[in-house]
Parts: sequence; structure tokens; C-alpha cells
Amino acid sequence: MNATLTTCPYCGTGCNFYLLTNAHGKLRGIEPAGHHPTSRGQLCIKGWNAHAFVDHPERLTAPQIRTNGALQTSDWATALDLVHSRLTSLAEQHGQDSLMFLSSAKVSNEENYLLMKLARAGYRTNNIDHCARLCHSSTVTGLVETLGSGAMTNSLSCFDETELIFVIGSNTTEQHPLIGSRILQAVRRGAKLIVADSRKIRLAKHADQHLRHQNGSDVALLNGMMQQILQDGLEASDFINDRCENLAALKTSLAAYSPEYVAKITGILPEQLVTAARLFASVNKAMIIYAMGITQHSHGVDNVRAVSNLALLTGNLGRPGTGVNPLRGQNNVQGACDMGALPNVYSGYQKVSDPETREKFSTAWGVRLPETPGLMSTHAIEAAAAGRVRGMLILGENPLLSDANQALVEKALRNLEFLAVIDIFPTETAQLADVILPAACYAERDGSYTSTERRVQRGRKAVDPPGLALPDWQIICQLLRRCGLQADYAAPSEVMKEIAALTPIYGGIAYPRLEPNGLQWPCPSSDHPGTPILHSAGCTRGKGLFSPVAYRPAKELPDAAYPLFLNTGRSYFHWHTGSMTRRSHLLDREERAAFVEINPEDAQKLGIIERQLVRISSRRGAIRCRAQLTDKVPPGQVFIPFHFAEGAANALTNNALDPEAGIPEFKVCAVRVEPC
Amino acid sequence: MLKQLNYDNLLQLLETISTDYALQVPTLLADGTRLLANYGSGELSLTGPPLQRKPTSAFFPQTELLLTIDVEGQVHLPQPEKPVALFGLDRTDLAALTFLDRFFCAPPADDIYQRKRDRALIISLTGSAGPERSFLPLTEDNCDIEMSAVNGQYLALGHSELGQGFLDGFADGDPQQLEDLRRESAQQVSPAELLQQASRLLSEERVPDRFWKEIADKCILCSGCNLACPTCSCFGVQDRQSGHGTERSRVWDSCQLDAFMREASGHNPLGSEQLRTRRRIHHKLVADVERWGELGCVACGRCDRACPVGIGMLAVAEEIVRRFN
Amino acid sequence: MSQPSQTETSIYSPRPCRLLSVNKLTPQDKLFRLQLRDGSELQHQPGQFIQLSIPGLTDAPLSVASSPTRNGYFELGVRKAGILTSALHRLQPGEQVGIRGPFGRPFQLDDLRGKQLLLIAGGCGLAPLRSLIQYCQDRRDEFATVQIFYGARSPQDMLFQQDLSAWQTGGSFNCRYTVDKKPVDSCFDGETGLITNLLNDLQIDAANSCAVIVGPPTMYRPVISALRRLGLNSEKQIMVSLERQMRCGVGKCGHCTIEHLYCCQDGPIFWLEEVEHLRGAL
Ligand SMILES: Cc1cc2nc3c(=O)[nH]c(=O)nc-3n(C[C@H](O)[C@H](O)[C@H](O)COP(=O)(O)OP(=O)(O)OC[C@H]3O[C@@H](n4cnc5c(N)ncnc54)[C@H](O)[C@@H]3O)c2cc1C
Ligand code: SF4
Ligand code: SF4
Ligand code: SF4
Ligand code: FES
Repeated sequence: MNATLTTCPYCGTGCNFYLLTNAHGKLRGIEPAGHHPTSRGQLCIKGWNAHAFVDHPERLTAPQIRTNGALQTSDWATALDLVHSRLTSLAEQHGQDSLMFLSSAKVSNEENYLLMKLARAGYRTNNIDHCARLCHSSTVTGLVETLGSGAMTNSLSCFDETELIFVIGSNTTEQHPLIGSRILQAVRRGAKLIVADSRKIRLAKHADQHLRHQNGSDVALLNGMMQQILQDGLEASDFINDRCENLAALKTSLAAYSPEYVAKITGILPEQLVTAARLFASVNKAMIIYAMGITQHSHGVDNVRAVSNLALLTGNLGRPGTGVNPLRGQNNVQGACDMGALPNVYSGYQKVSDPETREKFSTAWGVRLPETPGLMSTHAIEAAAAGRVRGMLILGENPLLSDANQALVEKALRNLEFLAVIDIFPTETAQLADVILPAACYAERDGSYTSTERRVQRGRKAVDPPGLALPDWQIICQLLRRCGLQADYAAPSEVMKEIAALTPIYGGIAYPRLEPNGLQWPCPSSDHPGTPILHSAGCTRGKGLFSPVAYRPAKELPDAAYPLFLNTGRSYFHWHTGSMTRRSHLLDREERAAFVEINPEDAQKLGIIERQLVRISSRRGAIRCRAQLTDKVPPGQVFIPFHFAEGAANALTNNALDPEAGIPEFKVCAVRVEPC
Repeated sequence: MLKQLNYDNLLQLLETISTDYALQVPTLLADGTRLLANYGSGELSLTGPPLQRKPTSAFFPQTELLLTIDVEGQVHLPQPEKPVALFGLDRTDLAALTFLDRFFCAPPADDIYQRKRDRALIISLTGSAGPERSFLPLTEDNCDIEMSAVNGQYLALGHSELGQGFLDGFADGDPQQLEDLRRESAQQVSPAELLQQASRLLSEERVPDRFWKEIADKCILCSGCNLACPTCSCFGVQDRQSGHGTERSRVWDSCQLDAFMREASGHNPLGSEQLRTRRRIHHKLVADVERWGELGCVACGRCDRACPVGIGMLAVAEEIVRRFN
Repeated sequence: MSQPSQTETSIYSPRPCRLLSVNKLTPQDKLFRLQLRDGSELQHQPGQFIQLSIPGLTDAPLSVASSPTRNGYFELGVRKAGILTSALHRLQPGEQVGIRGPFGRPFQLDDLRGKQLLLIAGGCGLAPLRSLIQYCQDRRDEFATVQIFYGARSPQDMLFQQDLSAWQTGGSFNCRYTVDKKPVDSCFDGETGLITNLLNDLQIDAANSCAVIVGPPTMYRPVISALRRLGLNSEKQIMVSLERQMRCGVGKCGHCTIEHLYCCQDGPIFWLEEVEHLRGAL
């Protein structure tokens, strides 16, 4: 047995484990890294099974080209030439901005960097984005405005010393299980726990207070807490005086949010609000944890601002055991953002619109670069449906299942004149492609990934890719060369050298320094030890900005025709569109098919019994799946995980976008449920 | 036959063994994890904490090909591999191996397991081989060679003919030294006492259902407790089809998962987290005693280390004894 | 793929079997008649099961529904319940499947011989019981009276309808059938109501009787109470069949346990007193 240390390919927690290979070089198991600061000898069920899909017989093993409607096996040169010539000719005919590049939170930092270089320097468009648009674009927008940096401010080790944890919109034990377990351990140690979530999640069973506020009413809840804190005079005056600005405007904006008013909007009791506010403000060190429950709204950025306001108001920033802690979903969604797989920034959040920055990248890459920020992925889908985006390269994403409003996405992808997909499995999206390029998966290539606590750490190759499949970075390099750019990196470590040279927050990152447990950015120079806690001396932007927000309801609320709230998300056993987990025996067996969680009260009214097949419809589509009766969801709400193509939650969801971040409202829309 | 080896002799022995065996030795990995890995693949680690990965995984691995069915429907068993040699097992590792041997070889014997196990060579490592050379009690049985570190030397006792064969030619050891080690071993307190007490309380039905609910509420269903446990033997079966036929494998399974016993109808005899948590503890502390006459837990502590929420076997047993004794 | 090594087999190797015939029993159930490809007999005993293997879908436990007294074939009555059973339902005579087994503890014939038998089945439970009924039919003189009780959801859900009427009219057995619900236009001439209704008014010689129960999980407790009321209170008077999810059939995979018992080895047939006190057994 041989052991290769690597980073988990699933969530953003960033656990490390050993891939165990047998005498024939076949992957046979997983062993958690015993001394890695995140895993500490432990993993969640997905981590323990992360080897299982790697040698699945359905892996893509050769490039495929669509000829006369059918996909046919090809060779690399032909397939890559075709991709390049089709993209180039579309750009020539319709302008560079008729192309769109979707990068991936599953591939390495180096690969994200290279893809954004390909889009910007190779095909001269800033039209590049990735699935962070669908998860934490609100965070990046909101926190950059209020604090100056759009990442988790603190580290996972902070759970060991905090006095209170406020979890809002994060089902942590299921979605970031090894962070969830740290929260449970903190509770056991005596830390207080407040959970704000409409669902009765596992953490709620251990909470001092569980606030079941209605989905989409977060701003009201948070504003109400802040108003109460001000009323009680529990704000951190010294911290505010020294380190924050714009308190007066915040105060004015909060005045209306009395407990009674908030109770009406959120559905919680006024007393609950008061108790929660007082509890939160009573401790010296509190961490706020949030995830998709905050961000995936048409007012996602406002939600983030409100969270940030609460932390600033109580002085919970810049110290151990405090902070604004967005939990990033994918194992490298932090890195994909850091690397500038976003339409408006280069790596390290350096603005495309800034001439000096542009000059820097221009000089380094030896080409003139486009000036206007590009399209967000959600807008690109709309543009494709309208025929304005005509060519697309998708790297390791399955938007057909993961984006809101499936019907629109399908129309958009079918409308494209050319679609190339780089993936490891024949996903639903790949089925629509003109060219499919087979990639190596995480266990088959080297690279670095950045976890939710900004820890840049290594992924390492343990086995060879199947058939002709190639590491993504090599595929992108082939295209870079076809664009006439230098791309003779011998290994990802050399790409990292280029990244470090151009990206101040990664300035001191180099492969040898990542042994064995990685480094947390910002790490500006080769002697910098990394930064476990952001904003400790002052905020990245200088002063912490109070950014007042007002409650706005979700874009679509239940009515007579569609009387129930639909909440969507992931389940514990599956990952996103299931291309990996549904091909892993244990995970697949655990949940084989789509289901909808429905409260027994609602079920009784609708005449629905356990395991019954039901039809769920919204204004955008309809699906069928089995009912699961549970009081995990409150009456009036149903929950559907979005993993299953046969019962795709995103056939129902509303693509109402946040005006600033472009994130869709995955967490609220109106549906009808009927027995069938 | 008692022999004494110095460090170089030990390396020489390992070298010899590695020519005919797929030898796995205690290895220190990049982040400090210590486990059995291929001889020569990393830093040989002769002292330290218990081996993290259960050594029984050499005979019952996480994923294992059982057979292949070709396109004609003909069944083929996998080719036999090079025999396995394991070096570095401590007392609990061997106890777990004994337990698993009995389980898999009870009729009808699991020939897939037995085939590998019968040809294997097992060498324990005890004495001053714990963390910072702390003392590990001797192993006595179910190994071919019992190796004990003492004063920078290695006392080697061949238990089987196979083991003795490998020791031929090394210098004789001092029986008095072995006696001393045995005496010291006898003085070690074993956590098994705690388990016995918990076992008794459980079989006397002194542990109420609400206790299991309370424990189960914390469980995040990672399955780590089962996968890490050297006496856990449950597996699922997976078929994978390709153009060449079907590969049928077994994979480690976990009784903490809802689908472990769920039937096609939806009926599930272990249908709640509470029942499954009870099963995990009850199986080893009561059911195994009933079936095999001894505890199914060798108190190795692996599940306690693998459990992200602190409800491994020893933690739960302690809680049971504290609350219900 | 590894090289062929025909000589070796393992407890996990399926043996090739040919489907001789396939007959529809109900809309969801079919009767499959099979023969080992090498022509040998299965050599099972009533109550035992086999693991039926279909490449790509692993294997599933199925009770043998025919008696070993009938040579040259064995039969399986299979409900379309999921992936593997659906695939099986699509197969045609002449096609091949694999089987392992027979496995498990059978009905304890030695203890049943000479006794008055109450054979009680609900729903799918008739499949395993049929092997015992056929056995009794073929060795009628080994047993005293044999009464058969069968309950199904509706007349069209009843398995083995031809057998049921043959047993009723054949004179060897005393048979009573019931359904939960009878459609108005049904020509079913049995009773309506729970299976326990059939037992309440029985006149039996309790001391010389043995009962066998095979049915869905919910059936056991009420039927056992009814039998107790009839006076079946001693050891070795009530036999139950306990089905659990089974992956290996040979006591290794751990999916079929009830406390310390492995249903696939220690069962599926148990004396009631062996399992009654075990949590989750009934
Ligand atoms: C001893 C025994 C005898 C049986 N005899 C018969 C019979 O004669 N006729 C008949 O129609 N059915 C019988 N069953 C039930 C039959 O095994 C299941 O219906 C079948 O396994 C479902 O498999 P599937 O792949 O079609 O369903 P899926 O739901 O697709 O399979 C799910 C998985 O769970 C397992 N599984 C699901 N339900 C059961 C269950 N009830 N019991 C055991 N394993 C299960 C399967 O092996 C499979 O791996 C018997 C079960 C047992 C334990
Ligand atoms: S918690 Fe996240 S990173 Fe850790 S093992 Fe689970 S999926 Fe992987
Ligand atoms: S301590 Fe835990 S891992 Fe070790 S044998 Fe006991 S139950 Fe298994
Ligand atoms: S290791 Fe702990 S959390 Fe994981 S399944 Fe076992 S008891 Fe549950
Ligand atoms: S079926 Fe595998 S142990 Fe019983």
C-alpha cells in the first residue's frame, strides 16, 4: 500500500487525506491525515469515500467531437484545433464578447489562473466566471465593500476559543461536516450556540436558541438584533469609534426594526429576538458563520452587509474566536475567486477596470487586454438564450443541473453555436457539447487548492488518469499555445510562480512552502508566515464600513396558485449534481433518488403519505419525486436537494438575480405540491 | 527460540522478508501520520503512537475485488497476489486480527480473506516502541515473530515455524530480558475493564433509550468509527460494468448509515439514528460477547480518534459507566 | 481482467443457471423456473434461500418457492421491488442468471413431522412457504392435519392462485384465504379482513400443533397473539421467518443481523422463542 497526501475534492473545509493505492497502482481507499490542522485524523462520509468514483467505468477517456449530431471519439490535436478554430471564428464574426468561459471551483488554483489567462489574453474577453456566482458572489461583493476582503475573516482553529457561535443559513454538519463537528465540540466545551435556520438542522438540537425565521427574512432578523443591541447599549463603542465608520446612518436605518415588527416579517417571537440579541452581545468573542442561506437571495448582498454590520457593531472582528465567516462551498471556490475566474477582477481581486493593473498583466502576458468587465455567468446564460453569447467553454461545471431555472439554461446551451466542455464524466451539460475533452480528476493531477479559511494547500497525483484524459492545466496550456501565448510550464508549481509574481495576496506562496499543511493568504512575501486572521490591525479597506440595508421580500412569495415556499440545497451524501457521489457506491446507496421534504401537517392537508410520488410545480417547471415527511422543514415550506437529474430542483427555482452580485434566488420561490 | 537483533540486523531481516513478501512497515508520513505502508516507500518509524490505519485492512481492505464475470457469464477469481508481511503490530492490533480471523474463517469460511491470511507473515512490535519510546505491552500470540524493543536492541521470539525460519542465524537473546518485559506487561492497566463494566450495564438493560438519542443527536454520520475499527467487518457489494465484463467488489460499509439495513419496501429494522448508535456500541459490547464469548472491541481507541464529535467507543463506554453504574 | 482460473471458486462465486420458464403470478410478481446449468439439483430444503446474481446489479436474496421433492428444477416467486428484481422480470426463458446457495436454516422438518400444521402466510411470504406446502403435499403421510392460511391485500395481489385453488380442492389440506379489500366485481370466494380473523375461531389440538408464519413485518405480532390464544404456548411450536437485507448470505457482510444473530445463517427460519426477546426482531 502506498499513501499520497492530498486535499479533499468535495467541500471547502479543506480536509486532507491520504489516497491509498495497491501494488497495481489502483486506488483502494482513503485515510484521513492524522495531524493536518483541519482533518486531525477525521473526515466526513464524502471524504472517506472520495476514492470511489475515480476509477468508475463511466470516466471520460478520449476527446469526443459531435459529427452529424452524435458524439464521436477523436484525438487531442483534432479536438483542440476544432475548439480553437470555432472560438476564434466566432470571436472574429461576432466580437470577442460573444464568447463565455466558465471556470470551475473543482479545479486547482493554477488551472483557474490559466483559464482566466486564456479568456483574457488568449481570446481577449473578460467573459469569465464560475459557480461562485451561484454561491458566494454576494459575499465577495458585500464584504469587499464593508471590510475590504471577501473571504472568511478567521480560521477554523478559532472555534476552539470562541465563546459564542451564531450560525445563520448554514447547515454546517451536513455541508461542512468537519466544521459542523467543531461547532459541536465548542458547544461541549461550553460555548453558546445560536442557530437561525427555518429547518430543524442537527445543530439546532444543540443550540441555546433556534430561530426559525422564514427564508428570505434575514435582513429583518439581523437588523432587529442590532436595533435591540443599540437599545440595550450593548454595542462595542470603543471598537466602533476606533475602527468603523457610518454608524449614524446605520442607526437611522435600524430605527424601525422593533422586535414586534421583526416578528411579523420573520415569524419568530419578539422575545426570541430580544434574547438572541442580548446573548450575542453578552460575550467577548463571537463568531458568525453563514453560507448559502444568506447569499442565495435576490437580496444576497444586503444579507451579507447586515451580517457584517452585526459583527462590526459588537466588535467581533480581527481577533481570535470572532469574525464574519462565510463558509465556502466547493473545495476550491475560494481559490477560483482568488485566481480571478471572475468577470471583473484578475487574480487577487485586482480590478480589470484599473489601468495600472491592466498594464501589469498586459506586460506580463505580452498582449493587450480588454478593458470592460465581462459577463457574470448568470447573465451569460441569459445572453446565450438571447443569442448574444454564441460560443462557450465550460470547465468542470454542470450548469444544466446547477443553475436556477433549468428550462432557461437548457435553451441557452442549445442555442449556442459552439459549446466545448472539459469534464471527467459525461454530465448532463456535456451531452449538449460539440466537443468534450476528458480531464484528469483530483487524484490524478498536481495542483493547489484554497480552502474556506484561505488555506492554500496541495493536491497531489496518486494515480494515472484513465485513457487519454489529461490534467486540465495541460489542456488549457494547449489552447494557450494555439492562441500564440507562451505556455511551457513544466508543472503546476511553475504556474504558481507566475501567480505569485502577479498576485500580492499570493506573493509568498510557493510549492515548497506549502509542505505539509499549506499557508493562509494574505501571504505577500516569501518570508511571510501567512494570515490566520484578517483585519486584525485594521480592516483591509481601512475603516470597517457600516452599510445600512432595508428588508426587501423575496422576488416570488407563495400565493393561492403556488402556496408553499420552496427551499433548495444539498443533502449530506451527495455533492451538487451528483456526477461523483452518485458514482460512489455507499453515497449512492444512501440516497438513490430525488425526494422532497415536507412537513407532516402540510402532507396531511394535501393527502400525501410517506414515500408517495408527488408532483411539484412552480411557474417555471414541474418535477416528480418521492415525499419524505419530516418536521425538519416548517409547515408551509418544502425542501428539495438539487442533485438529481430525474427530479431536478432547478427546474423549479427562480432565476431572479441579486442586482449587484447576480446570484439567483435559490432559497425562495413558490411551488405547489400534489399527489400523483 | 529467542533471538536478539540490533538495528542493522532488523533492517537486514526486513530486507530479506521483502524479497518474497509484500512487506508493510510502520511509516511516518508527511503530516506526521503513522501507518503501515510499503517497505521502502517512506520513513521507517520504529516508535510512536498506534498505527492509524487498522492493520487488519491488509486482509480486509476498504475496496476489494471479489470476482469478475466476463461477457459470457464465466466467473473468474482475482489472481493471487504476493503474500503479505506486516511488521509493527501491537497487542490490540493482534487481538483485532485474532477477532477478525475467527469471524471470517468461521464456516462457511470467507476464502477471499483466508487465502491472503494463510500465506501472511505477521511480526509484532512492542517494548519501548510507543510514543517517545514509551512501553507497549507484549503480544504473546497470533503472530509469527514477536519483536520487542529493549535498550535499543530487538528481542525476537519466533512463534511459528515460518517466523523461526526468518530468525535463523541471529544471535541468541536473553530469556531474563523477556521475562522482565512480560512482568512489566502484566502490570499495565487495560481499558478493557471499562468496557466490561459498560458491557454488563448494557446487558442488564440499565441504559435507557434516551441515552442513545442523546448520543445519536451528535453523530454526523461520517462512518469513521466503523471504517477505522479493526474488528468491524461489515461490507457492501458493488458491481461495475465495462466492455470487458463486470467487476464485483466489496467495500467497507457502516451500520451508522440509514441504508445499511433499509429494504426495498422502505422498511428499516435500524430505521433511526438512535437505533443505529445503540447498534454500534451494543454489537461490540453485548452481541459479540453472546456470539463469540468475548468483547468485539479491543480498546484500540481508533474510533475515538476518528470520531469528529467525540462519541467513539471508549467515550461512550465511559459515559455509560459514569451515568448508569 | 484477470486470467481465467476455472478451478478455484469462492463462496461469492455465482453458479450459472438457465431460466426454464417465466410465468406471471400477479401484475408485480412472476414465477421463475430455473435449472443449474450443469444439470445438478439445487439440493435445498424448504425455507432456504438463494442469492440471485445479475452482472452489474450484484445479487439479492430470494426464497426457493418449490420443494426439493420436485426434481430437475427449482422455482422462485419474485416481486418487482427494485433494480435487480425489475431486471429479472425482463428476462426471458433460455436466458442465464447466477445463483449462490442454497443458504440459511430451513424449516425444521424433524420437529414438524407428525404434527398438526398451521401454515400462515401473508403477501410475498407465500413464496417460501410454498416450498414447505409442496413438500407436505409430496410427503403427505409425514404430517398430521395441514391447514393453510393466506392473506393478501386484494384478490389480484394473491400469489400462486392456481396453486391456491389446487390446494383447496385437492383434499390434502384445509385452506382458508382472506383479502384486506374485495372489489365488488371480484369472483374471489374467500374471506375479507385481516389474517388473524381466520385464526380466532379455530378448533385445534394445541399440544400437537405447530405453526409457521411467513409474511410482512407488521403481520407477526398480531398473528403470534392469536396463536397464543389458541394455546400454542410451548417451545418449538411457532416458527417464524425473518427477512433482513442480505448481501452475502454467508454470515459475513453484517447486513442481516438481529442483535447477535445473523439471519442468513442462523435464520431466516427461527423458533419464536429464539428471537422474541431480541430487540428489533419482530
Ligand atoms: C431471506 C430472504 C428471502 C426473500 N425471498 C423473496 C422472494 O422469494 N421473493 C421476493 O420477491 N422477494 C424476496 N425477498 C426480498 C428481495 O430480496 C428484495 O425484494 C430484493 O432484494 C430487492 O432487490 P432490488 O435490487 O430489486 O431492489 P432495490 O431496492 O433496487 O435494492 C436495494 C438493495 O437493498 C437490498 N434489499 C432491498 N430490499 C430488501 C429486502 N426486503 N430484503 C433483503 N434485501 C433487500 C437489495 O439486495 C439491494 O441491494 C427476500 C428477502 C430475504 C432477505
Ligand atoms: S468535511 Fe468537506 S473537506 Fe472534509 S472530508 Fe468532508 S467533504 Fe471533504
Ligand atoms: S476502540 Fe473503537 S476502533 Fe478500537 S476496537 Fe474498539 S470499537 Fe473498534
Ligand atoms: S465517527 Fe462519530 S460522528 Fe462519525 S459516524 Fe461514528 S459516531 Fe457518528
Ligand atoms: S447476508 Fe451477509 S451476513 Fe447475513
